[in-house]
Amino acid sequence: MRVWSKVRLVLSALLAALIGLAGPAHGDGSVQTGPIDNNEARETRALALEMIAPGNYVHYGVHEDRSRENLGDQANIGFVVGERCVLVFDGGGSFAVGRALLNAIRTTTNKPICYVVISHVHPDHIFGVAALTGDDPVIIGHENLARQLAARGKFYRDALERDLGEAASGSDIVGPTKTVAAGETITVDLGGREVDIRAWPPAHTDHDVTIFDRASSTLWLADLLFVDHTPVLDSNITGFLAVMQTLRATEARHYVPGHGRSNAAWPAVMDAQQHYFEVILKETRRAIRDNVRLMDAVNQVGLSEAGQWVNFETYHRRNVTTAYTELEWE
Amino acid sequence: MMQLRYLLLCAVLAFSPLVASANPNPEPDHTKIPEWQVIRSLMFGDREINPDDRDVVRLYLNTRADDAATVPIMINGQIDQTANDYIKKLYVIVDGNPIPTAGIFHFTPESGRVKMETRLRFEKYSFVRAVAELNDGRLYMSQRWVKAAGGCSAPMGKNVSAASMGKMRFRMDDAVAYDQPQLVQLQVRHPNESALASDLDPDHVPQFIRSVEVNYNDKPVMSGEVNFSLSDNPVFRFYFVPRAAGQLNVKVEDTHDSVFTQSMEISEGESTETR
Repeated sequence: MRVWSKVRLVLSALLAALIGLAGPAHGDGSVQTGPIDNNEARETRALALEMIAPGNYVHYGVHEDRSRENLGDQANIGFVVGERCVLVFDGGGSFAVGRALLNAIRTTTNKPICYVVISHVHPDHIFGVAALTGDDPVIIGHENLARQLAARGKFYRDALERDLGEAASGSDIVGPTKTVAAGETITVDLGGREVDIRAWPPAHTDHDVTIFDRASSTLWLADLLFVDHTPVLDSNITGFLAVMQTLRATEARHYVPGHGRSNAAWPAVMDAQQHYFEVILKETRRAIRDNVRLMDAVNQVGLSEAGQWVNFETYHRRNVTTAYTELEWE
Repeated sequence: MMQLRYLLLCAVLAFSPLVASANPNPEPDHTKIPEWQVIRSLMFGDREINPDDRDVVRLYLNTRADDAATVPIMINGQIDQTANDYIKKLYVIVDGNPIPTAGIFHFTPESGRVKMETRLRFEKYSFVRAVAELNDGRLYMSQRWVKAAGGCSAPMGKNVSAASMGKMRFRMDDAVAYDQPQLVQLQVRHPNESALASDLDPDHVPQFIRSVEVNYNDKPVMSGEVNFSLSDNPVFRFYFVPRAAGQLNVKVEDTHDSVFTQSMEISEGESTETR
């Protein structure tokens, strides 16, 4: 292939990514066709990337419900490139997104993928992993990840099929081949570039993993940090606050949230999320003390935060439910 | 016998063709739900439901549920529990669940008031129904359409350690007054495993609570046959009438034949809780 046609391919792939994945839904509500149903586009589409630090490439997802237009491209995902090979952090919300991430990696480097780290079980992070296994990478996750994949996998897969239809095809569950115990950190070498992989005690989920690229001091937090998007609590509110406290001690020069983006400094960027959980913690404890039943507490707790977050209606009351059912046992 | 009936019901439902609706969002006619027609016939036969317009039972909940595995409901009996006229049984039914009968609760005149709260799992968009059976056998029903799905097949997010399994707490907030209905909350630490979520080991019998019995000074105040349609770490709020100082006792049994008990001393003028 001649250089010019290669460049054109990359350009058209990026263009397709812009229309097909990152583009806003049509105002008239019509279903967008073209890139989604076009096999050629599907094969060559590449996600939009930003290099936020040397060797660290991020694709930012959208704050939308999953749809046939966005294909589950909701989480921030990306990769770190060393001299020898590539570490991918999360695969995105469908095989199609994972495939587009792979194409984006291929436009960036020809080094093989040697590690795929799965931050946690949620569908917007896992379903693209199936597209990233061609180089036979080590798949790394928290020691509790396999159990959660087994428990939730079918449920999540059925829901993906319902939302995406045929576009869900290929989105198979891929489990970890190497695990990290809660509280432990392992370090992998990508060739002149060491990356710490840390497994946390229960917080967002009971199996959260973050990575830290030592060379550039870049911290990839996945869903231990939400920016703009309503923070989501799927495990333990007191644990989440404790983990955030520990995270603050990380001397990061760059950071990648699981959702959203910000120019705020680290660790001040965590302040809004911390405030949100502190409000929920305080008001839920008060509701329980005052014998306010769960049914009513979800309509009272934390409403002062409503204007601060995207998708508040979708996630907030569920967060209160999770907090309440935890805190009523204190 | 009761369990046999459940199994039969499950089998019937598993093989009955369900009418697939293109859009499950609008509230359907609650009398025309295929599952309900089967449940109704198996559980109540030809008996009339709502034979007159007497206001006997009402059902309260947030119908847009945020967590399909934890949907709080409140069922209010609208009549006084007297020796001659009282709600004897309360059937809580979720049409779309694998075991649609989430609970059958028994009450007596000593219950004082039938005002029962608990939390349910919803496997799909479905009606929840409260059917009150009076002591004379008449049946009254109240139902609500609930938009929540996946609550039974959703995995248990929280783990219950073996050490804390079966731990129970009573809580009474108001100072106790004799001869009047008193609100009590009972919390049970238990995973209440769903048969749909237990997909790790097919040989594992899902461990869920099958009965709860609350007595006051050896007289029954509330009991129920329940299953995994209740959320994990089940919570019950209900009323009873203490006539004198005494002891509130609860016994819970699960499908692994584990038995858990807890008791709380009660005397007039005091609020109390166990930890």
